[in-house]
Parts: sequence; structure tokens; C-alpha cells
Amino acid sequence: MTIHQVLFIVIALAILGAAIFVVTTSNLFRAALMMILTFFGVAGLFVLLDIGLFAVAQVLIYIGAISILVIFAVMLTRGMQGMVPRNSQAVAAAVVAGIIFFVLLLLFGPLRTTIDVARWPIVSLFARNVSPRDVGGVEWIPPGQPIPAVPETYIADFGRALVDLNQYLLPFLLIAFLVDVVLAGAIFIARQRRPAEVIEDRQRQAEEAAEEAEAMRRAGMTPDVAALPEGAVASTAEH
Amino acid sequence: MNFINDLLKIIGDFIAGIINSIFGFSPFLADLVTMGLAAVILCTFAALSFMGLTYVERKVVARIQDRVGPNQAGPLGLLQPIADGIKMFTKEDTTPAAADRWVYNLAPLVIAVFALTTYAVLPFAPDVVGTNLNVGVFYIIAVGSGSIVAIIMAGWGSNNKYALLGAFRTVAQLVGYEVPMLLNVLPVVMLAGSMSLVDIINQQTTLNGNPGIPFIVFFPLSALVFLISGIAETARSPFDLLEAESEIVAGFHVEYSGMKFALFFLGEYVNALAVAFVFSTLFLGGYAGPVLPPYIWLLLKAAAVFFVFMWLRGTLPRIRVDQMHNMNWKFFVPVSIVHLVVVMALLKLFVTNPAMAQANGGILVTPGVQAAILFTASMLILIGSLMIAARRARIMRLQEEAVLEQRRAENIAAVSA
Repeated sequence: MTIHQVLFIVIALAILGAAIFVVTTSNLFRAALMMILTFFGVAGLFVLLDIGLFAVAQVLIYIGAISILVIFAVMLTRGMQGMVPRNSQAVAAAVVAGIIFFVLLLLFGPLRTTIDVARWPIVSLFARNVSPRDVGGVEWIPPGQPIPAVPETYIADFGRALVDLNQYLLPFLLIAFLVDVVLAGAIFIARQRRPAEVIEDRQRQAEEAAEEAEAMRRAGMTPDVAALPEGAVASTAEH
Repeated sequence: MNFINDLLKIIGDFIAGIINSIFGFSPFLADLVTMGLAAVILCTFAALSFMGLTYVERKVVARIQDRVGPNQAGPLGLLQPIADGIKMFTKEDTTPAAADRWVYNLAPLVIAVFALTTYAVLPFAPDVVGTNLNVGVFYIIAVGSGSIVAIIMAGWGSNNKYALLGAFRTVAQLVGYEVPMLLNVLPVVMLAGSMSLVDIINQQTTLNGNPGIPFIVFFPLSALVFLISGIAETARSPFDLLEAESEIVAGFHVEYSGMKFALFFLGEYVNALAVAFVFSTLFLGGYAGPVLPPYIWLLLKAAAVFFVFMWLRGTLPRIRVDQMHNMNWKFFVPVSIVHLVVVMALLKLFVTNPAMAQANGGILVTPGVQAAILFTASMLILIGSLMIAARRARIMRLQEEAVLEQRRAENIAAVSA
């Protein structure tokens, strides 16, 4: 057994153990923390595969951003104050995860000898005249065969693939556009209103309050009628 | 002279030779032991520098604030860090009864580990680097985001409202300031054409080993924004909102005592020192420098940057939460994006590499001219954005005054009526 295999087994066990903990524990916060460990293990697998860029991206995006978001969702959910959050949808989650797992197994698993990503309908829209390897497709390597080394210039290749018209330019632009829209939306929601707007708002509020009071007066103080003694109601009816 | 210049490398080779002769039967075992030893040495260096820095910082801040600082333990108070260490060791180690024990006890460890991992990619001298990662800069920023997790663990695990509030503040601050940090590393990466810290230093050195033009000359705006967001990332004063004593007691580490607290403290200092090292590597040319040996140059540059940190800590009051976020999202991020786009265009337009000029077009210039052009552009963006910000602030202030004036008028009218 080579050191790579030992490390792979250790990391895989850590990932599996953490993943099982995530789905079985009833404490949501600990589940989120264990999910971070799972992501970390996946980063470790990328390191074993010699793709440092993906390992670092995994840590930055999944641990630094997505996990934090998940933890915040757990902590800010109403009704979590003072109690330990519980997971009540374990069965449904397990079913969904199982289905996704088998779909992925059919698409990428050992049943297929090669995975011709370029033939996939969606990918072929963006990628023309390229071999699977060029668009990030993987060839299934039978056990015992040496794994081809990652090229030295893979970061530059990756960058070029993102701006190449024949490869990933369109998805890249779409994602960039999406991020822009999200940013603009966030700014719109969170923007600080100008003092002039604040004045307008206060005037509008005052007008609305006045209108409401006027409406109440015109309706003859109906809401208060029920509170009045019966004789009073009868006397108003006589008038 | 060569011996002194390559001292670190010679010592390293010597130790590696001894280990190789002991574990000669298995090169793998020898590698493992060498790497482990290197990791231990790096961590020890970081921990020892933490001890030294606490003393130096207290002395410097005391000097700035017209005090004496620690002067009782040993000559000039030099033994103060040791006294502090003993105090920390002998303090009672408490755990809140309602704490989430695992999370609570793991948090200080996680923060210390993430702080120390940065040192794995820092080049201290030519050929003296833990590992020359080809995504070094990216790695440093990614690892920096790991300490957020540790702080959330501490905040939640303590089961304390102040601790949780501190953790919330931390995440908003640290996640936010990661953005300008990343945006201002990108110009450096584009100019160097690599994310490896060793390559970035080599780009700031001329071919015969003399120091070239440091990147701070190319991108003064990037350097400034990176420095400020670095301080915010390490949560040092004036950005120490997460442990603002007057507002939320001590923030996320309010429940920690003894060595666990010391580990948080260590994480903070080690992170700050790492930012100083990274800043001097990215913008000041790293270990490149004349006459003195390279590692001394790197330490001098990092010490100078750290002195700026201490200087700011000694002089500036803590900024407010809204000011902090406004500065980040409304000033740093837009300015950095504009700067990034301008730098991209200029780097395509003015190239120094003849082969690149042949292939992609563009005007061939010497590095000096390129530096002058980029410096001018960077400074113009900086000054222009500051002027816009100042103008906008004045307009806001006038509008606020107008609102107050109107309110006052309304009040007078109401009173007289």
C-alpha cells in the first residue's frame, strides 16, 4: 500500500464518518460543524489528486462561505433561542440524497468506461469541437492503470477555458451576470435611504394616519361600539 | 558573505542531512520526519514571535500613549511575556455549565491551527519555504476564512448572548473584508503572472538577484486597501468590534479563561504577523534587498508593517459598526473593482515582455515606465475616489442638517400654534 492509498483511506473514512454524523445527529449546529469537516475532507481528496486550486477553492467557498451561511441559517431561525435545534426531516433528506447518489453513480460510476461530457446536450451547447478532457470530462481509469499526472499549467488552462468561446465562456458570463444581479438586489434591499426620502416617508405616514383617523370618524367609531354599554347603543340607534 | 546569506538554507540542509543518514533505509520516512520537523520549527517560530510581539506591542503602545509599559519583570520588563504565560497556565480553566462542551473546547484549537497553517507557504529566504504552492496567495486567503468557523464555534459553544453577538459581528466583518482583500491581491497576481508567493517575490527581484521595483509602486491603492482590510481581517484595533469591551464585554471569547483564552490571543497575533509577512511579500518585495541577508530583510519589512499595526492601535479609537461596513462595501469594494478593471486594461496595453507584445499586441515598455503608468493610474483612482467620497459625505451631512432644520421649524410651529 502506498502512502497515497493510506491517506485516501484515512480521508475517506473521515468524510464518511462526518457525513454519517451530519445525517444522524439531532443537533443541527453540530451537524453543520461536521459538514465543515466533510468539506475539509473533500479538499483533502483534491490535494491527493494534485489539484491544489480546487482544494483551496473548496476551502474558500464551501467552508468560508457556504458553511457559514448554513450555520447562520441554523442560528437565526426563529424558535432556536434557548433550545437545541433538532432535525426532523432526516428520512426525506436520506431519500433525496440516495436518489441523487444513484443518478450520479449512473452518470459517472464504474458502469461507464468513458464519460464523454462533450456529448451531453447542455454541455455540447457551449462546447464544440473539443475532446472530453478539454471540457473537464473524466476518462474512467481501470484499477491498476497509472493515473495521468495533472499538467503543470492547469491553472492557466483552467483560466483560458473560462474565457474560450468554444468552452465555458457562456456559462461563465451567465454566472457573472447572476452574481451582478444578486449584488444589485442586495444593495437595493439594504440601501440607506436619503434624508429627503425619509422626509417624504414621514409626510406620507402622517397623511395616512390622518386619513385613517378621518375614516374612523366617518365610520362612526364602529370599532368602539361593541365596547359601549347596551343602552348607549340603543340611544344612538334612536337618533 | 554567502554563508550568512544562505544561513537558513545551510542549517536546513544540515538537519535534512542528519535525518537522511538516520532514516537512510527509507527515503519516505526521512521526508516525513523532515517535513514534520519543519512544521514544528515554523509553529515554534510563530508561537515565539507571539510572545515577543505582545511585549513589543505593549511597550510601543505605552510609548505612544505616554506611559512606561511593562517594566517590572526582568530588565526593562523583558520577562513580562513569560510572567503572562505562567499566569495563563495557572489560571482556573472554566467551562460554562450549559456550554456545548465539544464545540467550546475545540474552538481555541481550531483558531490556532488555522492561524499557523498560513506559515506553510511563506518564503523566508530563497529556497527556504515550507511548500511552494502554485496557488499560494489563494491558499492564504482561504485559510484566513477558516478562523471564522472557529469564532462561530466559540460564540455558539459558550452559550452566552454576548459571545454570540460577538460571533455575529465577527462573521459580518471577516466575510466582508475578505472581498476587498481578494480584489486587491488580484492586480499583484496579474502582474506577476502567478499565485505562488515565490514567483511573486522573483518578479520583484531583477534577474541578477538585486531588488527590482516592489509592487507597492505599481499598486499603491491595492497596498493601502490590502493593509486596512488585513487589519480588519485580523480584528485588531481599530477594527476590534468583536471584542468591544464597552459594548459586548469581550465578544466571542468572554467565557474563555487560562490557556484557552491564550490560544485565541495567539491566533490573533499570529494572524496579524502573517498579514504583515504577506503584505511585505506581495507589495514590498519579500526577502529581496541589498547588503543584508534575505531573511533579515523579510523580518525588517514585516516588523515595519507590524509597527504600523501597533501605531494604529495606539492612536485610533474603535470605529462604529456602520462606519466599518460602509467603508468596506461602499468604498473599498467599488474602488477596488474600478482599480482592477483599469489595471487589467493597462496591463494589456503596456507590456514589458517582447514575446507577449508580439503575440497579443500592445505597447512594449520598460518595467520602469510600466510602473510609472500604473502608479499614476492607481493614485488617480485613489485621489478621485477620496474626493468623490468627501463630496458625498458633505452632501449627506447637508441633507441631514436640512432635515434637522425642518424638524426644528416644525417644532417651533407646533409650539406657537
